[in-house]
Amino acid sequence: MIKSQENAGRLGAADRLLVPVEDAANLLAACAIFLLMVLGVAQIVSRTVFNAPIEGYIDLVELSMAGMAFLGAAYCQRIGAHIRMELLVGRLHGRALWAAEIFGTVVGLMIIGVLVWYGGEHFWRSYTLGDSTIDAELPVWPSKLLVPVAFSIWFLRLSVQLWGSMRMFVDPQRDPVGVIFVKGAAEQAEDEMHDAMGGDIDEGEASQSGDGK
Amino acid sequence: MILGIGFENPLLVGIIALTLLLVLVIFGVRVVFAAAVVGLLGLIELLGWSGAAGIVGTVPHSKSSTYALSVLPMFIFIGFLAFHAGMTGQLFNAARKWLGWLPGGLAVATVFATAGFAAISGASTATSAVFARVAIPEMLRYGYDKKLAAGVVAAGGTLATLIPPSAIIVIYAIIVEESVGRLLLAGFLPGLVSALIYAAIIVFWAMMRPEQAPAAEPSTWKERFASLPGVSPVFLVVLIIITAIYGGWATPTEAGALGAAVVFVLALLRGAGFKTIKSSLMESAKLTAMIFALIWGVLIFVRFLGFSGVPEAFTSWVVGLDMPPMVIMICILLAYAVLGMFMDAIGMLLLTLPVVYPAVIALGFDSIWFGIIVVKMAEVCLITPPIGLNCFVVNAVQPSISLPQVFRGIALFFIADVLTIIALLAFPEIVTILPDLLSN
Amino acid sequence: NIDGPKVFWKLSMWGNPRALSDGMEKLSELAAKETDGNFQIKIFYGGQLAQARENLDGLTVNAFEGAAICNFYHPGRNPAWMVFSLPFLPLGDPKVDRYVRSKLFEHPAIVADMERWNAIPYVSGLLPQYEVLGKGKAPNDLSDWEGLRVRAGGGLGSAMEKLGAVKQTLPAGETAIAFQRGALDAAAFPYTYAHVAFKIHEEADWFTSNLAPGTSECGWVFNKTAYEALPPQYQEFLMNNRDLVMQVEQEAYAAQDQKNLPLFEESLTKVTYSDEQLAEFRERAGKPVWDEWINANKDKFDAQGLFDAVWQYAEEAKAAQ
Ligand code: NA
Ligand code: NA
Repeated sequence: MIKSQENAGRLGAADRLLVPVEDAANLLAACAIFLLMVLGVAQIVSRTVFNAPIEGYIDLVELSMAGMAFLGAAYCQRIGAHIRMELLVGRLHGRALWAAEIFGTVVGLMIIGVLVWYGGEHFWRSYTLGDSTIDAELPVWPSKLLVPVAFSIWFLRLSVQLWGSMRMFVDPQRDPVGVIFVKGAAEQAEDEMHDAMGGDIDEGEASQSGDGK
Repeated sequence: MILGIGFENPLLVGIIALTLLLVLVIFGVRVVFAAAVVGLLGLIELLGWSGAAGIVGTVPHSKSSTYALSVLPMFIFIGFLAFHAGMTGQLFNAARKWLGWLPGGLAVATVFATAGFAAISGASTATSAVFARVAIPEMLRYGYDKKLAAGVVAAGGTLATLIPPSAIIVIYAIIVEESVGRLLLAGFLPGLVSALIYAAIIVFWAMMRPEQAPAAEPSTWKERFASLPGVSPVFLVVLIIITAIYGGWATPTEAGALGAAVVFVLALLRGAGFKTIKSSLMESAKLTAMIFALIWGVLIFVRFLGFSGVPEAFTSWVVGLDMPPMVIMICILLAYAVLGMFMDAIGMLLLTLPVVYPAVIALGFDSIWFGIIVVKMAEVCLITPPIGLNCFVVNAVQPSISLPQVFRGIALFFIADVLTIIALLAFPEIVTILPDLLSN
Repeated sequence: NIDGPKVFWKLSMWGNPRALSDGMEKLSELAAKETDGNFQIKIFYGGQLAQARENLDGLTVNAFEGAAICNFYHPGRNPAWMVFSLPFLPLGDPKVDRYVRSKLFEHPAIVADMERWNAIPYVSGLLPQYEVLGKGKAPNDLSDWEGLRVRAGGGLGSAMEKLGAVKQTLPAGETAIAFQRGALDAAAFPYTYAHVAFKIHEEADWFTSNLAPGTSECGWVFNKTAYEALPPQYQEFLMNNRDLVMQVEQEAYAAQDQKNLPLFEESLTKVTYSDEQLAEFRERAGKPVWDEWINANKDKFDAQGLFDAVWQYAEEAKAAQ
């Protein structure tokens, strides 16, 4: 059993390494949301009070959408927030459960892998062939670059979860490391409630990430 | 080319893809992955690998960086902030001061307090969660029946998606390329009508069974007016969003930004610290990423549908049916009711609309009216078994009320919702009058 | 009449069928007829295949065989095409416009822009000249434009700013509402059909009838790989029918004008500028924008040469009339 502990150790380390990256990315998305609020108010004031709308406001908003839309994706994955139907998976236990987890994660890895690569090509085209926004003619490539960057983090998180699920599939009695606990509908509802209450809870409660306690 | 059918038989490719999607979703694959992977596979069948992967690679960025969608993070942020600004407690307090004297007064007050909160929150589960904590203990203290108390909170939460701001209405507008502003306005009256029908049915029930909803002590006029300043920020946010859209002095995103700023300042004044604000923002970012993933994931599938020609085929089939449009509409709504038993509201709309919407329009129905009807249907699904998320939320917040009790408490409000939908079918003006006023 | 293999071409377009697509629909009909159904061309509307701004990406990755594009949606992708958006070019006469644009679609700089995206220019959409509709006092003099809040994009927007107007950007669909609520004084759109499509005439008090301040290029391009893979007889068919496509487009615009113009004349104040006023317009709001554009682009391609070509072709067209 020494080997498996070693495995869990390395898996745990990979998990711990990824957590601050995901948090930082989500925090960036959060900042983008806050700035969108500030920019919106500034636009109203500047336009209605001074008759001088902010040049390229719509372009700026559109470019910043990528930050809000993608940077939090890996964070969502870690805490199991991406929507799925729990009707069947919620009833599974042991190996069957981990098999379902492995299947779902592999599907995720496939599509996110494709999107890292081809989202990257989409960025590369706009970087090399030239691309600018409709109004203020701002360059588009920084915004498009966020897709391969954010999805790479997502891909790594999915890899950790795949590793964790396979480890559990081999021996369901082990302490789970680097996986999401499948929640029953009631637990999912509890998360919704915590969400509604905002930050009154430590996010660690919602996931089994971190050191796997 | 996987099957080698390609464009020879697009309808068959479409049906195989839909089946595969359903299987993946049932096996618990996250909706974003299932939809995107099936979309990719379908496109590979039609276009070959490089064309398919290339076009799929463009979808997340191009579909997410749309100005109209930028209203979503603003609406989400307002909802999280509103809770921290303590608006919920004050709303319930004011509603009971004004309406507590009615038969079933506390429950009626809960309906209108949730309607008020709906005007600052776009998420119905969140609204149910908040009021399960605020309103249920009060009702129980006055000897209300547990089932009734739980039911009114679960049902009241659904008002959040009709009364603007509403994320789900925005998503409908994006998919069908309708004006976000007009649709948001259109939800206002139906939301109000829903609330009134809820209230009427509570009053009726309380008169039949007074022991289930005992009267609370009446309030003086002085107390009533004293309760108003606490809720004035809610009215301010409503005023900002409605007049901005109606008056055209700001886009929905800008109005959302101003509304968020107002609630933000209020939260600061009421003592929210850096940690609270940060966690509200982190939660908003998380929810935003989740909703956007759902949107672009499903739109990859929709991109495949576009190439396959399935929506057109479905439309011509539906239009060719020898049935009155209203009968077809009722069939569509029943299909939604079945689907909604198992699926999340946003996912359900995203997956079905690209096929169903063109057919509905071809039948001659108004796109704004249909949007509101469909959103109302999706909301009803949040309170029906077996997956009724709002009911789960109530049960999670108040574990002393068992899940079966919550579901039984919903029966009354399910009847109310059916009445509302009949009203919207019979009097489409309830939906269209506000947006029509806007265009004249 | 034309023998050949079975070929299925998908063309990507955003929005509904309209004048811009009428010509291609006609082409599609003709292709099916001439090849006995072997060469199928289908337009996918509503951005089903790609968003307007991603049409060029779709051609690069070979997802479809043709697309409509608008130059001003993505200036950085087609810098040379932005010549079509310069204000006050001598393209007010539809016949001249058609001649000049057909020639320009073969100009090396215009071709080079598309080459980068694995595309070839096919046929211009011949978007009509813009005119301005507005609310309140009609701008009968140049000085009246000072301080007006105008929705106008691209080179036309820059031109309006030179006259002291305040440029506003908002989605086309929100223009009428902005008018109604007094958030906007004037809006420039392709005349007359776009004003009617967005219901601007219902809100406006006046319209300019002969400003012809410029327009943009929304036209059709093909996938280069797909085009080169076509048998020569199909290629020939496509190239021989460019005039037909343009003719159908212009007829569609003209039919719209015939319906809309009486409507405008009846309910709106008509603003007509004298030749001297137009010359002054050009001098103050045209020339500076041209010079700026040529200067900004001279390192990317032969901007001066391209700009001069526009005038040269226009001269040729007028001489031929
Ligand atoms: Na709401
Ligand atoms: Na349900």
